[in-house]
Amino acid sequence: MFVIERMSTDLITALPDMKIGQAYDLMKERRIRHLPVSDGEGKLVGMVSDRDMRSAMPSKLLDSDSYEATLKKVMNFTLAEIMTREPVKIFVYYTIQDVLLIMRKYKVGAVPVVDDDGYLKGILSTRDLLSAFVDVMGIDEPGALLCILSDDRQGQMKKIVDIVTEERISLGSVLVSKSLEQDRKAVFPYLLTNNVARVKTRLIEAGFELTDPMQWYFDQLPKKQ
Amino acid sequence: MAELPAGVVQAFFARTCCNYWNVLRSGRSSYGNLVSVRRVALKSQEEMQLNYFTGEQETEQMKKTGFIYDDTYLQHNTGDWHPESSERLRVIVNGLKESGLLEKLVRIEAEPANQRWVEAVHHVNYIMRFNDACAMGLPDFDHQENSICRESFKAALLAAGGVIKAIDSIMVGDVETAFCAVRPPGHHAEVDKAMGFCYFNNVAIGARYAQRQWGMKRVGIIDFDVHHGNGTQHIFETDPTVFYYSIHEHPSFAYPGTGRDFECGVAAGEGTTKNSVILPGRGDHDYRRKLTEDLIPAFKKFQPDMILVSAGFDAHAADMMSGVNLSTDGYDFVSELIMNLANALTDGKVVSILEGGYNLELLPLLVENHIKHLAGLRGV
Repeated sequence: MFVIERMSTDLITALPDMKIGQAYDLMKERRIRHLPVSDGEGKLVGMVSDRDMRSAMPSKLLDSDSYEATLKKVMNFTLAEIMTREPVKIFVYYTIQDVLLIMRKYKVGAVPVVDDDGYLKGILSTRDLLSAFVDVMGIDEPGALLCILSDDRQGQMKKIVDIVTEERISLGSVLVSKSLEQDRKAVFPYLLTNNVARVKTRLIEAGFELTDPMQWYFDQLPKKQ
Repeated sequence: MAELPAGVVQAFFARTCCNYWNVLRSGRSSYGNLVSVRRVALKSQEEMQLNYFTGEQETEQMKKTGFIYDDTYLQHNTGDWHPESSERLRVIVNGLKESGLLEKLVRIEAEPANQRWVEAVHHVNYIMRFNDACAMGLPDFDHQENSICRESFKAALLAAGGVIKAIDSIMVGDVETAFCAVRPPGHHAEVDKAMGFCYFNNVAIGARYAQRQWGMKRVGIIDFDVHHGNGTQHIFETDPTVFYYSIHEHPSFAYPGTGRDFECGVAAGEGTTKNSVILPGRGDHDYRRKLTEDLIPAFKKFQPDMILVSAGFDAHAADMMSGVNLSTDGYDFVSELIMNLANALTDGKVVSILEGGYNLELLPLLVENHIKHLAGLRGV
């Protein structure tokens, strides 16, 4: 999955000499929290987040006269004064996996996407990532989740998929989690079906264990003394 | 009814709390391990059967209760592998015959729904599309699991028509409550899409009919099928005159993946949709708690003129379609609570409509118990 499929290209950008007041209104009106700043030719030069904005604002603890006076002054500064120069950025050929790790590492809520020459092409926010994962998990479509415990050896997934296929059921997604028990894997197929009874019975017959998610949850709870 | 009589409410809460307390005392809420839940489920099933044979819980007075069934419903042939089979209705009717309950019920003849009532819920194009698919002999409709045959359209019209006849019978006073043993089921059917073995949304058509034909201002729908009734919710989510309440397995685990507890209605309908989600294995414990905490206050505030029920029996521990592990006792609690609500709010007017329930061995007993509650033979 590449970011180019997931980024927003309907861009709202600002020039470095835009007044903070204007930018504030723009972000409020368009309900965005990250504003990429580009030069006149479309090259990325910085990013302004709502946190940058807030830290530039005068404290509301001030009395109203000095608050208003300071606010007026602040609003007249340009974005160049508060923007993050050389922000964390990604390239159009990055993958969604890259972005997950980048966002976790740099703790940012959105990253601008640029091409090799530094021209701004899009922006990818945590919200876009969330939609990507709703898609990947297939949970936009009606279906049901199975929770299967299987031995951690080759060929188990094939058995599961074979049974699902023989029951003529489409797969929305399959997640595999690190073992809940030693030498075992938990497999979570999301089946696009309302008819899970037969497939569950057949999986049990084939030697798989269907886990009870709540049992697992209770096992994790701190034990009472 | 304008106000709930205080005595009824007190009596009701006393009963509910009492039941709840008994469950706690008997240790049935220790759901720490699944094995014990299954054991409890089986144990209570034996108990119920015992009670059923000795008639311990039955009382003398019986409400006039309508029963809607027609052999045409069996003609909707879904094929050998399909869980939503005509066998479901066969075992229900046989069970009711054997127990002798059937002859105590008022048989109501179903008629095909006038298309204008189906159109009150579904797009006319969708209705035609469904009719065409059946007439052409296609194997399925909108999804490969929605198996159809040439008779499916006829059966679906008759299923919706059965609900309509049940409402008529209640409104003219022939019966006080009614159970519609109909198929295909309805609660997954969207305005223009068949889903989850459902083609026409029977309960939604019934609600619209009650409003437009009989001037019912507010209709309350209680859906206790283990799956969320996405169709019913979407049809009424902007409508403040129909309250849709559903209790079902958590949508992360169960079909169709909608009905999270933050879905509360849209625009003018905000507040007249409510979803109670049950995590796997938490059946009895959470059904009692959520129905008491979510459904009762909501309906008390909403004051429905009539209650329609989407009755699904697939939440039972023995039904492989779900994992919530509701026991036979748990189902009794659900039916009892619905009847108590209806007696307090709608002069007992309830139409209950069959949705899911796929364990053919258990289905007759669960339906029989449910009808006994509708008839006031149990739990009053």
